[in-house]
Amino acid sequence: MDPTSNPTIDPTKLKAAAEPGAFGGYLAALPHPPMGHDHGPMKSVRTAEYQGHRISITTTYEITVDGKPLMAGLDVDDSGMLSCHGLPAYQFVSAVDAVRVLIHNYPDYFGGGG
Amino acid sequence: MPVVRRNILTDAVARDDYVRGVGLLKQGNSPYTTTQLGIPGPAAPVRTYDLFVVWHGRTMMTPIPPGGNPQVRNAAHRGPIFLPWHRVMLGFLEQNLQRVLNKPGFALPYWDWSADGDLGSPTNAQIFTPAYLGGDGDPVSDGPFAFHAADPATFTVRIEAAGPGGMTLRQTSRGLRRAFAQPPPFGWLTLPTGAEVKDALAFTPPAGGNPVDRYDTLAFDASSEGFRDRLEGWIPKDPARPVHLHNQVHVWIGGDMGPSTSPNDPVFYLHHCNVDRIWEGWLNRYGRIYAPDMTAPAGTYKGERIDDPIASPLGASATPRSVLDVSAIYTYDVLP
Repeated sequence: MDPTSNPTIDPTKLKAAAEPGAFGGYLAALPHPPMGHDHGPMKSVRTAEYQGHRISITTTYEITVDGKPLMAGLDVDDSGMLSCHGLPAYQFVSAVDAVRVLIHNYPDYFGGGG
Repeated sequence: MPVVRRNILTDAVARDDYVRGVGLLKQGNSPYTTTQLGIPGPAAPVRTYDLFVVWHGRTMMTPIPPGGNPQVRNAAHRGPIFLPWHRVMLGFLEQNLQRVLNKPGFALPYWDWSADGDLGSPTNAQIFTPAYLGGDGDPVSDGPFAFHAADPATFTVRIEAAGPGGMTLRQTSRGLRRAFAQPPPFGWLTLPTGAEVKDALAFTPPAGGNPVDRYDTLAFDASSEGFRDRLEGWIPKDPARPVHLHNQVHVWIGGDMGPSTSPNDPVFYLHHCNVDRIWEGWLNRYGRIYAPDMTAPAGTYKGERIDDPIASPLGASATPRSVLDVSAIYTYDVLP
């Protein structure tokens, strides 16, 4: 793109695209996620280099709640902090805490505890 | 003629218009059904307001780059695209509110949460009184978004995240949920303060780098150094303080502001309008710059480079570059 051209978003196009028909049409055309599909255990791969050595750390959380596998991907970043798609604004220092908070936020999914 | 976005606490007309407009968007059916949007269950009309809930949730499932892991980076979060994508989303809501209100001069108001943070994060802050957005609860029981089961026009959450995987949506019919200031790890006790906003705005990269390093840097994710990651709220990485700024507000409010369907709560837009205002203050201060540019490898960064299309109905015409100067569409009354 030529950065000297006027790149600013066009208010007329914005208005037209925001109409519910156009807006909904965009959403309907997106690839639909498979129904009932969610994460299984996910791998987090952290890589780094130190003094000429290549470091790779693969982490997989296999979690069960009440004996059932938890279909919630936990991801760990380079700092060691955890995130999960089910609570996208949260960051955790403990996987146990992450699962506790998921249970707290999705009570219908987990049902009553024993 | 650009509209001027103002603080909701100082503009009663904007407040009343916003509440009325959200109600109209919640009542109005879009031309699409849940089935057409890939949401399981019987086909039901999708209200215009709920198109935004679906859009946010689905964009969060869209990885950057294509084929990557949306949990690491997606087309709206955890990377430099966070601010441009939400700017477009707010523009879409503002256009729809102008339409249903029949008021082309309507401007989305913002909630300056740092002002409440400076007051000690009261759970009875003015914004959460019945005259504004109502308080917390399951369901919220006061204010314009309270749930009254016997009233067919009551504010109803109809689409939500299907489970802790966060990758699928489902239909529901219930009231709005909020749970203010829960103790960690379930929530967070305080809102961000004005000093914390100032700190993010003042971030300066090491001398000798590229000027755009002030915005974001490799690896352009939730660990990268820069203003964007500070405002989104992933850094500084501190086990004793895992949430900041934007993320902290979601976590402090709790309830429906937690999952990928957080636009279910009308406070979402007032919150993000303030985030957008802080970005505009940064752009005004440091220049209308953005990173990464198009030299960043597509295999890793496609979808968040300066001339990549933003994931929106605008297609290729909306890019991060195209939203760096929106002064033809709106301005703010006050910039931080």
